[in-house]
Amino acid sequence: MKNILEIRNLSHAYDQASSIIKDFNFSLKKGEIVSILGPSGIGKTTLLRIVAGLEDVMDGEVIISEKVASKKNFLLPPEKRNLGLVVEDRALFPHLNIEKNVMFGISHIQERESLAQEYLSLFKVADLSKKYPHEISAGQQQRVAFARALITNPDILLLDEPFGALDKNLKEELHEETKKIFKNKDLSVLLVTHDEEEAKYFSDRIIEFQEDKIFIR
Amino acid sequence: MRSSKIFSVWHGIPLFILLFFLAPILIILSSVFADYSENWSHIYEYVLGDYILNSLILVSGVSLIVMIIGSLTAWLVSNYQFFGKRFFEWGLILPLAIPPYILAYTFTGLFDSYGTMNEIARSLFNLEQNEMLFPNIRNIYGAIIVFSFTLYPYVYLICRTAFLNQSRSMFEVGRTLGLSQASIFLKLALPLVRPALIAGTMIVAMETLSDFGAVDHFAISTFTTGIFRTWYGMYDLTTAMQLASMLLIFITFCLVIERTSRKNANYSTIGSNFKPTQVTRLGSLGSFVCFFVCFIPIFIGFILPILEILNWSLRFNTSFFNEQFFSISLNTVLLSILSAILCTFIAMIINFSIRYKNSSVIKSINPFLNIGYAVPGLILAVGIVQLFVFLDNNILNSFEGYFLTGSLFGLIFAYIIKSYALANSTYEAGYQKISQTIDDSARVLKSTGLNLLFRVHFPILKTSFFTSILLVTSEVVKELPATLILRPFNFETLAVSTYIYASEERMVEAAAPATAIILIGLIPIFFISQMIRASRLEKS
Repeated sequence: MKNILEIRNLSHAYDQASSIIKDFNFSLKKGEIVSILGPSGIGKTTLLRIVAGLEDVMDGEVIISEKVASKKNFLLPPEKRNLGLVVEDRALFPHLNIEKNVMFGISHIQERESLAQEYLSLFKVADLSKKYPHEISAGQQQRVAFARALITNPDILLLDEPFGALDKNLKEELHEETKKIFKNKDLSVLLVTHDEEEAKYFSDRIIEFQEDKIFIR
Repeated sequence: MRSSKIFSVWHGIPLFILLFFLAPILIILSSVFADYSENWSHIYEYVLGDYILNSLILVSGVSLIVMIIGSLTAWLVSNYQFFGKRFFEWGLILPLAIPPYILAYTFTGLFDSYGTMNEIARSLFNLEQNEMLFPNIRNIYGAIIVFSFTLYPYVYLICRTAFLNQSRSMFEVGRTLGLSQASIFLKLALPLVRPALIAGTMIVAMETLSDFGAVDHFAISTFTTGIFRTWYGMYDLTTAMQLASMLLIFITFCLVIERTSRKNANYSTIGSNFKPTQVTRLGSLGSFVCFFVCFIPIFIGFILPILEILNWSLRFNTSFFNEQFFSISLNTVLLSILSAILCTFIAMIINFSIRYKNSSVIKSINPFLNIGYAVPGLILAVGIVQLFVFLDNNILNSFEGYFLTGSLFGLIFAYIIKSYALANSTYEAGYQKISQTIDDSARVLKSTGLNLLFRVHFPILKTSFFTSILLVTSEVVKELPATLILRPFNFETLAVSTYIYASEERMVEAAAPATAIILIGLIPIFFISQMIRASRLEKS
């Protein structure tokens, strides 16, 4: 199976004194779900942002779909990487209703409304389409965020603690549903989490970030 | 956070705007190196001493009074429960709605030999026509009172915030160490808010030095009246610019102190063990004293001038709310709204560029764009005239006559530079409330540049956009010195109209434009009072 994402000898630091990621190598296959596990401040989110193109790399390469996306002094912008991103605070656009939030990334497509309904139904929030983000619950917002990210048919889905703000029951319910959807759609997923149980349940592989060490399980 | 090292249009626009904002100021400063004419020697020999001395007396007197009024009233409303406290919390900023020149005109109407107050005193105490109870106000001491009672709210606002952020524990320790309530204020609370007090006072000093309307009406020789006379009396623009440079250096000094103090202003603010101040409920005597202390500044700075304007309006019926007044009002409102929209757009673009590119270059440009608020309108006007004459003669010379000079462009340009800081602070506050993840999500969903600005940021920041337009509009309506110089021939605004009537001693006719200015000036007061109410809720 071919690699959809490859990271080669990646190094990154916020200042000269401390390096947050050092000489990191990693690959993600098509349809694979990989979790990056580790405590806060260890560099998990930074890695995700580097893959998304939201952060420059200091050294090394990021290759997406066999094309160099980031290397020293080169950055393919996020909008040209065909990725999906779901973050802990959902980042739904507060001025748009649920349907328009989901259609945001496909505004150039003619059948956007039917497609939006399809994805809203997939995540069981079709009846909320005319509501605004502040009018729905955190769990419902997270479903909308998934629908918005998946509707663009991304090559890789990046998840930054997407279930972090949810209670235990809701989390388990969403774990089951989303994993099923990801596998059905043969999606490549990179999940950042500090929850070991979540990582174990969700992933085909786990990369564990610890102080000065990276373990691959 | 992502950084982009590539130079783009989002770097270019702020740099281009910076160039335009700084050009008039640099032109003024460059005059220092020009030849000094005979007029300069005359000014240097005979009047420069007066300009400096009067300016210093004015600034010192006003600073002292605003420090006392601002800090004392802020301390009382932050720490005591007394009759009318809820009103005073926001009521103490009401004088900000009245520009110093309007207070000067109304005080002349009130306290002149045959002014309203002396007439009332004569009829009450059966005084002779040549006897006066109230002294002449048209002098430097009168000007000190005028500036103090319109500008103290700057000190009040900044001190109130600082007092609210002081922890109760500190005062409790002070009490156990034997300090009385008064000593707590003088020995603990006041020294702790010293940076805030200095920052507020420096803003007042800059406003005082920048004023033209009030000092001109009271015939006090200061830098601004001197610049005006040198230009319009001696027709010597270079010497006027050289004088302006001196004032600019003076004001830069105040600005540096203000900025430095503001940085330290939170050295007494909330920490992890913060306990809000306990409000002390006062008995009837204490309540009366506090009420009186807080009421006096509002009475002098807001109620008295309003009463005098109402008196003018009633005595001379409403005939001066005529067609000419409405035409001038329309001019003013349209010009102000247009300037406010442009200024707000510039602030939006700059703040978006900072956010979007996260570039240290653009970030470092923004403080320089903000300095326009400290530059006196008169100086800005002189610089803009010079800049426009240069552009008309050298770049736009294909147009017949002057294209920029004497047009509305100059006015709009001056208003934008003067008000940018206001629009910028509104946008900065708005942007702080948008999470970075919103931008990240939008970018991953292929929304970038203008698309990101108009599809995501603009709708989310709609409130900031309209707030900024309202605030800038109300500020522009009050502006006098730049308008007086830069307005096209026969073009009047409410401020100019008030000035012209007042300078011709037709005070009652100034009532109509003055009323309109005050009403529009109440807009920002409304917003600040909302913020004060919100801070009260947060505290409770």
